[in-house]
Amino acid sequence: MFRHIAGVATLAVAVVVAATMPLQAQDQKGTLVFAVESLGAQTLDPILEGRPGNAVYQAVMYDSLVGFNLEKGGVGPGVAERWELSPDGLAWTFYLRPGQTFHNGDKLTAEDVKFSLERQMGPGSLASAAASMRRTIKNIEVIDDLTVKVQTTSPQIGLPAGLSRAVAPEGAVMPKAYIEKVGEEEFRKKPIGSGPWKFVRNVAGDRIEFTAVTTPHWRGRPHFKDLVLLLVPEESTRVAMVRTGEAAIASIGPETMLSASRAGLEVLSVPGTMQAIFQFWGTYKPEVKDSPIAKVRVRQALSLAIDRKQVIEHVMNGKARLPYPFATFAYTDYFSAERWEKWAAEAYRYDPVLAKKILAEEGYAGGFELKFANTALPGTQYMVDIGTAIADMWTKIGVKVTLKHYEWGSFAPMERGDQAGLVGWASMYRTAGRPDAPWRYDGAFSPESIQRLLGDKDNCQEACQDFVKTYRALLSELDKTKRTALTDHMVELAANSWTVVPILEGMGYYAVNTKKVGQFAPIAGRHELGDVFERIPRPEEKPWKK
Amino acid sequence: MKRYIARRLMQGVVLLCMVATIVFFLGRLTGNPVDLMLPEDATPEDRAALTQTLGLDGPITEQFAIFVGKAIHGDLGTSIRMKQPAAEAFFDRLPNTLVLIPWAILLGMMLGIPLGVVAALHRGSFLDRAAGTVAVLGIAMPSFWLGILLIFVFSVELGWLPSGRMGGPTHYILPVITLGTFLVAGFMRITRSAMLEVMESEFVKLARIKGLSEGVVIWKHCLRNALIPVLTLWGVFVGNLITGAIVTETVFAWPGIGRLTYEAVIYRDFPLLQAVIILKSILILSINLGVDILYAYVDPRIRLA
Repeated sequence: MFRHIAGVATLAVAVVVAATMPLQAQDQKGTLVFAVESLGAQTLDPILEGRPGNAVYQAVMYDSLVGFNLEKGGVGPGVAERWELSPDGLAWTFYLRPGQTFHNGDKLTAEDVKFSLERQMGPGSLASAAASMRRTIKNIEVIDDLTVKVQTTSPQIGLPAGLSRAVAPEGAVMPKAYIEKVGEEEFRKKPIGSGPWKFVRNVAGDRIEFTAVTTPHWRGRPHFKDLVLLLVPEESTRVAMVRTGEAAIASIGPETMLSASRAGLEVLSVPGTMQAIFQFWGTYKPEVKDSPIAKVRVRQALSLAIDRKQVIEHVMNGKARLPYPFATFAYTDYFSAERWEKWAAEAYRYDPVLAKKILAEEGYAGGFELKFANTALPGTQYMVDIGTAIADMWTKIGVKVTLKHYEWGSFAPMERGDQAGLVGWASMYRTAGRPDAPWRYDGAFSPESIQRLLGDKDNCQEACQDFVKTYRALLSELDKTKRTALTDHMVELAANSWTVVPILEGMGYYAVNTKKVGQFAPIAGRHELGDVFERIPRPEEKPWKK
Repeated sequence: MKRYIARRLMQGVVLLCMVATIVFFLGRLTGNPVDLMLPEDATPEDRAALTQTLGLDGPITEQFAIFVGKAIHGDLGTSIRMKQPAAEAFFDRLPNTLVLIPWAILLGMMLGIPLGVVAALHRGSFLDRAAGTVAVLGIAMPSFWLGILLIFVFSVELGWLPSGRMGGPTHYILPVITLGTFLVAGFMRITRSAMLEVMESEFVKLARIKGLSEGVVIWKHCLRNALIPVLTLWGVFVGNLITGAIVTETVFAWPGIGRLTYEAVIYRDFPLLQAVIILKSILILSINLGVDILYAYVDPRIRLA
């Protein structure tokens, strides 16, 4: 009898222990290995890393003040579950989720948010928006443990987007008490965040290792116990590692998609990560006034001469789509996406007959000479192939294209200063996927911007002036409907100027070993998987559909 | 001998100064790290702020003066990307490259020297031509392509070896073969020509007249003398391996100084690039100096010249 009771008691204890054991012991097992071409600065201090590196590996262990809309892409709740703008437009109040903790058990509070934003703006910060933040943020006030108010020098409608990892890394929340206690040097060696993965080891030039938190997390509970991000610069090696099972997922380019697919790997594409575009430089300048590209209709004709479907099919292996207007995507905020999708389908059609007719009407029946700078950011070699393809298409309507290839390092300095090497030229360019169009438009069209494609301070004609007026109105417009109307007008101005013309909307691509990970979906518009790893199931949990 | 060493040291210092100057100015022709660190829509204000934070806002001559001043005191700057002293980053990664080199040299010598002897012994025959083909292939075949080919065959198709990364003994095999193939060709060619020269020597004829067996003549007397030029080129090969590891380390995701150089170039990390090239130069100059001294010690005609 005693033995029977003891047996039942032991069983009961075992059941209770199993039920109360940390989730890790029960559900989290195995190692998720991800091979990537770059780990950026490979530092775990958010103020020392740029946007791509932050989104690839820092996102794993840090949460951002504003997060993602996981369904649609773009901005969504993060550390702050909601935020609101003051009636005068000069202050944003962020309301934090209750119950968040850092990996050392410290509570995440409004003090940490204030500390993090001030650290991003501080003197040692390499954050790309540090200077802009210093200019626009007047004061950060902690209202209570879960409420923080950011006062701005002028209305900053785009501030929440700028603090979302969907856009920029500056919203990463760091542990104030821990950093103040151990110092920056020690924090960089043993960083802690509040994300679903904890830091384990950083081996320079090789890998970063993380382990899953065992408690539930608002971003999702990791299915794997460990996560290893491997730095493998060579694409063929990354694909080989996925094929052999040494890695479960690897980032690849469009050139490798077909071979990866033929090798039996799943090829996953992330929609809306970038736009390949071509743009015309200094078309408003007096010295270019007699050039064909100074004429709007000629620029439009060059767009009509591009067979985008062919480019998508042959250069991007079918894994791209017809674009929305410049720097806009299905997830762009305050933007009439459906209307513009229809507009783009018509405007970006392939019509070489009409293109030739327009050229003839504009006095270029015999064609003209066009100087075209072909370039690509490191890691986007396919952009050069796109540039070569469209140059060939222009040749078919009689345009004599002088194609010059530039390495990005030599192209980028040409954009600055008087743009002497680019004025009167067309060039390839690209824009990354982000939900807030006005920032990108300001960078391309404002007379004070680096690119200033519609006009500069000395030559700001009608369209340029209209842009300046619209952009300023957008910055302070609180009404959502009016803001959408202003964004649409800004997009229209740029689209009708044909100075920046999208060629296609690209995707991010991954080769996946389906025996190593289960089926998962990336976040639209974000090429990087830093905010996705915790939602990747093990293969037995969710097998891939054949 | 002391004067000889002092002269070579002085030459080394002058050479190093020239390398540092060239690297400083040429490195800056490749672009600006700020272009890679900022997004497309960065404001001119953000650009100016980051340029200043990175210490790239002053005139290039001023930057050069700062660089020289610090370098004299042993400070080669801080990596823009890694925020770590550039020399420290170099020495962190150096052991990873150095563990590959002895194995690659061993492979080169173990295959290249016997092949060279066989080719010399069968001059003009099929064996000689076959060895010549191996030499041409080894030199002409890009290590990038060879590395990928080896991964495809031995990792992907056969599943015998890992595709890359630093790890246990099996992780060394493919990178060592890739690095060593060039050396097999190099050792083979040098051994062959040295053997042919030695085999025509008077002392070899004398050895044969004395009735020594052909094996003893070839492997003891001829090869021992033929190895002198082979061993002196050892230093050159080590230098080649240190600089040539860039491709192999990139293909095999090996975190050595070759990869560090690649990353410094890609990210326009000027201080790191300068430090890596200067420290590599010191390494190669030291090895060459060591070999020269050894050679001068063995052959007094060298130091007298």
